[in-house]
Amino acid sequence: MKMTKIYDGSYQWIMYGRDENKRSNIIDTNQYIIRTANRCLILDPGGVELFAPMLAAVLHHAPVEEITDLFASHQDPDIISSLGLWDQALPHAKLHAPALWEGFLRHFGCETIEYVGIPDNGGVIQLDGAELKIIPAHYLHSSANFHIYDPKAKILMSGDVGAALEEDGSPVFVDDFNAHVEKMRFFHQRWMPSNQAKRDWIDRVRKLDIDIMAPQHGRIFRGDDVKRFLDWFESLQVGIAV
Amino acid sequence: MNKPNHAKSKFVAVASIAAELSAVMDVAKEISLAAANAKAIAFRAGEKAKGFQPITDFINELAKETIELVNDINEHALLLYQMTVDEHRMTDACRSFEKVAVLAEGAPYARSLDKSVELAQQRMQACRAQFRIHVNQLLDQLEGVMHPARAARVIAANSRIEASQAGEYLQSLQAVAESVDNAAQVIHDNVQRCRSALSILNIAE
Repeated sequence: MKMTKIYDGSYQWIMYGRDENKRSNIIDTNQYIIRTANRCLILDPGGVELFAPMLAAVLHHAPVEEITDLFASHQDPDIISSLGLWDQALPHAKLHAPALWEGFLRHFGCETIEYVGIPDNGGVIQLDGAELKIIPAHYLHSSANFHIYDPKAKILMSGDVGAALEEDGSPVFVDDFNAHVEKMRFFHQRWMPSNQAKRDWIDRVRKLDIDIMAPQHGRIFRGDDVKRFLDWFESLQVGIAV
Repeated sequence: MNKPNHAKSKFVAVASIAAELSAVMDVAKEISLAAANAKAIAFRAGEKAKGFQPITDFINELAKETIELVNDINEHALLLYQMTVDEHRMTDACRSFEKVAVLAEGAPYARSLDKSVELAQQRMQACRAQFRIHVNQLLDQLEGVMHPARAARVIAANSRIEASQAGEYLQSLQAVAESVDNAAQVIHDNVQRCRSALSILNIAE
């Protein structure tokens, strides 16, 4: 599992992905942690297949008892089907996930972990000194969907928005935006159902001060590429299957 | 035994018990209906089927008893299924933790997982012990259903004797006796299959 530190201030953001041992028939995913002095939040912890390499990687940065929080942007299996295993591993943790999906996500097994349902209008996760804003991203692509914005690190974890489908082992950061566009087009046109939802999200996100946009698949956007992505996404027609 | 196959056979065994019990329930309801029919025939036959009348009440009681027992067993089978799911999750967690231990070798916080591993193993053992207890309890309950099934066969034999004295109602009452006998046999066979499935699980444990 490749580990890349994407923010290093009074706390850290670390991206995990590009697992070399991942089976080729499951989609590659990016997992993120926010590591503060005493706590650790895992953003979109991943599928059940990924649990062992993911936990093993996190143990380089935090002990089990300090992994206090999980966040699931939505209900998909590549996001959180590992929940039942985290439930056995973490002695006292909370799962922050859409309230709308609670009854569904509990099918994965959630007895020890406390399910903290996120209301439709979002909220805040306070992780030691880091105040993380939960940004609504409904219908992008899931009907109850959220992203995480860290105003101090200026990072937006954007879930499936900004995702790209590409070869295993691709670079972590976008290095040529124009070349990257074709790797994102189909994903956004086919998985994202609503132009209205897309516009609502863009309006919301344009108001944020973002240095890094970190999606759950593909590459991370930095600096001006974030604005380029928003402009490109704005002009893209989504929901093309009907 | 191969672990994943063992887990699969456990799920299948517990699910098949539910299917067999559902069939037992249907047959018990058939017996109840047969008892109601027999009562009506015996009433019409009057004096000729005098000996048959108390038998119909008895058949009905047996059917009711079987239905109640099967309801209780069904609840227990459901609990056993939930325990199978729990145990499967614990086993899966223990196996995944073993993988983590290998992959995390050299990581500064690798040993912090030890407590969770120990706890998961304890839970898994507790789950298995509970499972064994409940399998044995279920076996006893299934033995309980065998009693009314055996009694029903004896009653069916008596019914045939009584039917032979019922004149023109002979055929109708014999059909009732036949139906009770067949139903009792089906219940016996189905319950026996449930017991075999559970016994295999007990041995595999």
